[in-house]
Amino acid sequence: MKQQDIKTEEKFMAQNAWFSIFMGVTLLIISGYPILNHTSVPLLFLGSAAFLGSFFMFVIRGGFTWKLSYRLTYKDEYLNTIDTIAYKHVVLALLFSMGTIYLCSDSLALQVSHSMMATFYLAVMSLVYGISILWQSRD
Amino acid sequence: MQNHIAEFRKAAGLSQQELADAINVSRKTISTVETSRFTPSVIIALKIALHFNTSVESLFILDEHD
Repeated sequence: MKQQDIKTEEKFMAQNAWFSIFMGVTLLIISGYPILNHTSVPLLFLGSAAFLGSFFMFVIRGGFTWKLSYRLTYKDEYLNTIDTIAYKHVVLALLFSMGTIYLCSDSLALQVSHSMMATFYLAVMSLVYGISILWQSRD
Repeated sequence: MQNHIAEFRKAAGLSQQELADAINVSRKTISTVETSRFTPSVIIALKIALHFNTSVESLFILDEHD
């Protein structure tokens, strides 16, 4: 593997982590807003604006990330290791949040739809992945 | 596991990025190995030792709890 490929992987992972955080916050707003305000009217506008904002930030920061061909794993040993650990953190966070929701689901059931809960779980997964990658790749 | 990679690298006048480029790994690999947060594979350990023309045993030291 060329050194240039490894640098591309490093760059891609950092952008991916930030994108996951932006996406997580976006989804958290979409799923959290109806819980706090008992309404879903501005959701379409709010969600679209937040998603487009985070998407373009990713594209601008990414700078030709589409040149990186799709791979399931990273070739660099350390990047691959922290990616695997981040997925473990995601699973743990998902289990923890599902457990919490299970325990207090009766009080949430009237205000929150299934799609909002699914969005909330996706938000947790995205946030934890991004934060885990950033935390593990600190110097 | 402790290691002397940072000392060898500084003695050779190399930056982390230059060492990473020389053995074809990411800079973060070198950074985290030096701070003992990541234990590299045998392949990377051998590449580093080969680069500094020394043995793996002189680069890495086992702790009591390893």
